[in-house]
Amino acid sequence: MGRYRKAMQYIILAVVLLVGGYAIGNSLFTTSVVLNKGDKPPAFRLAGLDDKVHEWKDYEGKPLILNFWGTFCPPCRNEMPALQKQYEKWNGQGLQLVGINLSEDSLTVESFIRQVGVSFPILLDMDKKTEKAYGLKQYPTTFFITAKGTIQEVVIGGLLTEEEIETRVERLMKSNS
Amino acid sequence: MFQNTKCECGHQNPVGTVLCESCGKPLDEDLLIDENTPLEMRYDGVARRSQKANPHFIDRIWNFFSSVKIAVYLIFITLLGASLGTIFQQESTLINLTERSEFAAYYKEEHGTAGVIYHALGLSRTYESWWFVALLVMIGTSLVVCSLDRVLPLYRALARQQIRKHLQFITRQQVVYTGTFEGDREAWLAEFGKQLKRKRYRVWQEDGALLAEKNRFSRWGPYINHIGLIIFLLAVLGRGIPSWHMDQYLSLYEGETRQIPGTNYYAKNDDFTVDYYSESELASNQKGTKVVKLYETKARLYECTADCDDPIKEPVLTEVMQHDIHVNSALSYDGLKLYQNSFQEKVRFISVHPSLLNASTGESLGSFDLLMDNPSESYEVGSYQLKLNDYYPDFSLDEQKRPMTKTREPNNPAFVFRVTGPEIRPEGEVYIYFPMPSEKSKYYEQLFNESFKQRGDNTGKFAIKVENPIVDGKMNNIKYSEYTTYLNIRMDKAMPYIWVGAAISMIGLIMGFYWQHRRIWLRFDDDKLSLGGHTNKNSFGLRADVAWALGRAGIEVTPKSLDNRRNLR
Repeated sequence: MGRYRKAMQYIILAVVLLVGGYAIGNSLFTTSVVLNKGDKPPAFRLAGLDDKVHEWKDYEGKPLILNFWGTFCPPCRNEMPALQKQYEKWNGQGLQLVGINLSEDSLTVESFIRQVGVSFPILLDMDKKTEKAYGLKQYPTTFFITAKGTIQEVVIGGLLTEEEIETRVERLMKSNS
Repeated sequence: MFQNTKCECGHQNPVGTVLCESCGKPLDEDLLIDENTPLEMRYDGVARRSQKANPHFIDRIWNFFSSVKIAVYLIFITLLGASLGTIFQQESTLINLTERSEFAAYYKEEHGTAGVIYHALGLSRTYESWWFVALLVMIGTSLVVCSLDRVLPLYRALARQQIRKHLQFITRQQVVYTGTFEGDREAWLAEFGKQLKRKRYRVWQEDGALLAEKNRFSRWGPYINHIGLIIFLLAVLGRGIPSWHMDQYLSLYEGETRQIPGTNYYAKNDDFTVDYYSESELASNQKGTKVVKLYETKARLYECTADCDDPIKEPVLTEVMQHDIHVNSALSYDGLKLYQNSFQEKVRFISVHPSLLNASTGESLGSFDLLMDNPSESYEVGSYQLKLNDYYPDFSLDEQKRPMTKTREPNNPAFVFRVTGPEIRPEGEVYIYFPMPSEKSKYYEQLFNESFKQRGDNTGKFAIKVENPIVDGKMNNIKYSEYTTYLNIRMDKAMPYIWVGAAISMIGLIMGFYWQHRRIWLRFDDDKLSLGGHTNKNSFGLRADVAWALGRAGIEVTPKSLDNRRNLR
């Protein structure tokens, strides 16, 4: 009887610790959507302008620049040629660049991309889903992601110059080795 | 410390026993000082399970939660904490804000310094805060431990009650009768028992002693109530499980279908209506103001049945429900609820039905449907083919004077078509088309078409425009949404458990409130008759029962005279 009672006591207190711990832990670590340095970016699965499905895991394992942009955002439009140049320069060394368009019509996106002559993959977000998952507040937002799949830097607002992009690309490529 | 807990009747009682579990003799030293005071009958005087001579660490934790005093403190602190959350609006009710900095700014702007302090202390998220959840968990623990510690010994004590109780136990009850009796004791006891049975008591007899009891089940009321509360609390904590709880807002313009984020459902707004009371329906102090009579969203709910996660294909939607959502009438489907939250008066283009015209004669060559969202890329118009080259939903020019769209909304759409067909050159002609019937867009349209003509991209042979754009003062051949509705989408899987918990709790409360556990003990010592009665509430009712049964058995007493506590005063 006594032993049974003690076991019951331990079981109840253990359940309390488990349930309570979960509940309190939940309230302590409420997940914020804002991504910071060192975070793992949320996975995505989107259609590309090439009419193929592009997934996050397709780009894992190599340094990646993830650029969220829209044709309605002038700084996004302005930095696009610089991004393309950097892509051409570093692509051979394993740099990946992906542009995620901010839920625009594919026709609108396509004609701009054709105009600028972008050759890196352009993915189309739908109903702002990916944008929300990445907690975007301003456009453009560019994520520099290491080969290990963690965010090295988040640049909010236009990068503007090629030099500014290049220093970050160099840092990103270095973290790879 | 060694404590002798053996009663004179030979029963071995646990540490902390107040009244001997077997004969009822008072054991607690405080009760031995004054032999006339009524006994403390709480939990029938049994020891709480956790009362021990040498408690060790786990026992001490257990004892902490076992204390009713601690439970009361916890409830009081929780109430106090909960009230703090009501001072200012909670973060969860602010729809458009998501970031900590945005919330901080909001509280600063709305409430000044007090708001800054409120937000900094985390009181803007009182009910999700770790300390509030911790308090709830502690109350839950206290409920379980307090109940277990008391209900099990009480159950045991009530299950094996001695019929013949210690004399002091009987004479120190709240309802007492003592007297001398001459005659056939057994026959009288049988008669007295019969009378009590008529009052729905269960009666046991044992040579010269009697025990009558009724409504014991009411003693379990508080514990059943506690079981209900525990289920309730667990359900509330269960809301923390991600898929159990949802509270979000969805904007839909008329005709729009959108996925409800995080679900497999899509909602469509077929039509939104806002109705105001007419001037004659308003009270005198409301005249001249707009008072809403009805907000209504004619909504449809779809479930995605195939290609849901395929970004290449359009999802296959199956309609599952149709409902006119208005205040207090939500669309409800499989635990998902769509409530009317608010609306915005905002004209938004959906589609137009323009015609291709011969510019010089004005003759129509055919017409087609043109959508503002994801327009298709080619159109068959009469014997001509229109290919959509470019689309700018909100036309503007960028710094390099290139056409661009200002926003993602079709506020001022512009379409660039390449027309091919009979009697024109094989590469076709390029025209820009602005469906918006505003002067500015018509000016742009003309300007661009003119420059295309100069560049040699078109000959000016065609014109694209909506025929009869205004009929009876209304826009014709143009579909647009007048209102955007905002729906509050909620899901609360914890709700059924909350109801079950609340119902069980209510059953427990009713059991405890409306019935009383009454017991009567009687013993003969030679010619001396001693009767004691106890009830957990309504001793008036018990005295009436006893006086009635005694009277029927030939001993006339007034109910009042049975009151032991009254006699003392």
